[in-house]
Amino acid sequence: MKLRQAVIPTRQAFSERMVEYGSINTDFAVFEADIGYSTYTYLFGQKFPERYFNMGIAESNMVSAAAGMAAEGRTVVVSSYGVFLSMRAAEAVRTYVCYPDLNVKFLSSHGGVTAAIDGVTHQATEDIAIMSTFPNMKVLCPADSPSAMKLLDLALETPGPVFVRLMRDPLFDVYSEEYEFRIGGSHILVEGDDVTIIAYGDMVMQALNAAEELGNGGISAEVIDMYSQKPIDKETLLKSVKKTGAVLVVENHQKKNGLGYAVPHYLAKIDECVPFAHLGLDDVFAESGDYYQVIDKYGISSRHITEEVQTLIKRKKG
Amino acid sequence: MSNLQRDKLTDRIERLEGHAREVRIRIVDMIYKAQSGHPGSALSAADILAALYFDIMNIDPSNPRWEERDRFVLSKGHGCPVLYACLALRNYFPLHELDTLRKFESILQGHPVKQKTPGVDMTTGSLGHGLSIGLGMALDGKLTGKDYFTYVLIGDGELDEGQNWEAAATASKYHLNHLIAIIDINRLQMDGFTDEVMPKYSIAEKFRAFNWEVLEMDGHDMTDIVLTLEKVRLAKRNKPVCIAADTVKGKGVSFMENIRVWHGKAPNEQEYRSAMLELKGEN
Repeated sequence: MKLRQAVIPTRQAFSERMVEYGSINTDFAVFEADIGYSTYTYLFGQKFPERYFNMGIAESNMVSAAAGMAAEGRTVVVSSYGVFLSMRAAEAVRTYVCYPDLNVKFLSSHGGVTAAIDGVTHQATEDIAIMSTFPNMKVLCPADSPSAMKLLDLALETPGPVFVRLMRDPLFDVYSEEYEFRIGGSHILVEGDDVTIIAYGDMVMQALNAAEELGNGGISAEVIDMYSQKPIDKETLLKSVKKTGAVLVVENHQKKNGLGYAVPHYLAKIDECVPFAHLGLDDVFAESGDYYQVIDKYGISSRHITEEVQTLIKRKKG
Repeated sequence: MSNLQRDKLTDRIERLEGHAREVRIRIVDMIYKAQSGHPGSALSAADILAALYFDIMNIDPSNPRWEERDRFVLSKGHGCPVLYACLALRNYFPLHELDTLRKFESILQGHPVKQKTPGVDMTTGSLGHGLSIGLGMALDGKLTGKDYFTYVLIGDGELDEGQNWEAAATASKYHLNHLIAIIDINRLQMDGFTDEVMPKYSIAEKFRAFNWEVLEMDGHDMTDIVLTLEKVRLAKRNKPVCIAADTVKGKGVSFMENIRVWHGKAPNEQEYRSAMLELKGEN
């Protein structure tokens, strides 16, 4: 799987596709909370000013208002950063969007420490845990721009609330046009026999780099992009784990209640107990700085994956 | 006003007062049967909701989701017995459902739920969100070019929630002239008088500061209610409307009026009988 240097971040790709989609679906509205030039929703506002509403720096009001509009049958895309959507507006998301199961889609930028340079206030490292816990909510996390664009279509075409976690900076692209995406889907990006590495978002790049390095050392790693965080692709997961006999989950998120909790929970329930490792933020807040330095310090870069897999393989053999 | 018009208005007011009395009876009855609920909050809004549901609002109980209908959001969701009573009396669902309030598998949840109760336009209960929801509905009306009105009933205690003012600013920005916020100013909230818990200052002045048109009315004088609500529908304007309604918590049951504990307490058998006698005018 070849990585290509990304030209634009996923937040921009998602919004650019939203502008294109605005001509296909002429009904949906977009609500922004005064960061439209950061989330790139301003592009939609330029093309469809009558369907673009800047609700000011007031995320909870924005989400409740979106619920009111969605209660009338119109789909609303709500845009902000993950920290604000998942925490400041959490109750509005739960009680007024998820409970009535309304068509509100969340364009949530600055997922994980991809907003490294902005510091902890702007790094959404609990968003997946919070959003996944709300009944009716679906959670998607594209790894690159091509998948972000496909997931915009998927979010708008899926009934009920959908949360899409996006990134601040351009990192890499991995997908080509022909890949298809679905709720509860995943993609095996590299096939392998010795260990299953499950990643999502920016961690897919780290996982792919680690798999290459592991390959050089004679370890065959399978890399799965679990872009659908809720629901997860149990079928692909199980098939892969049955083949490899070991699984590592790496995520740019708190370990607690992240994908690394969902995966072993599922496997344990069906008595598929294999050696398991989990990389993520270990009950800590990160800090400001260069993205690559930050992910390395907090234990989620490719070298950590490589090291952890080497230990995992030993546990497997033991 | 001609004599004929005056006679017609008198008949209309008498009819609505009768409905309000019936609504109050149903409120006390259902809360007594549930042995749980918020009688004070429901009773203070009984006259306003009777006017809306039996006269002012353009609705069709046989078609609860009729697209042209006026919308209603009960932001103070805990007062829902008043809404449930109006909906049942307007035949959105059978009256006997009122006996299931707050009970297992009932269509009448402890706080209003859109997908469970015919006629409930939106889920509410967590305070401070209703005006935001209402503005979303009103904004959709503008977008689709429909001219329905969206009414949001807000408690005065609930105005402690800052989100109301985010919503007030937004509704004003988008000139939502078919959004009507009615503030049920009964001066009591759960822990005490509103000015002790958190001073409200002038609610009317606050909404005026957000560029809303503000009217004031006596929330228990049916003539004032009807004329005010009618005036709001007829006048042309380009801003949202706030109606500051002066009310009494527990209105209509004398031993509940202005007493804090009746915010969220069910009557016992003796209290129930006494309330019913008073509401039915039999004592």
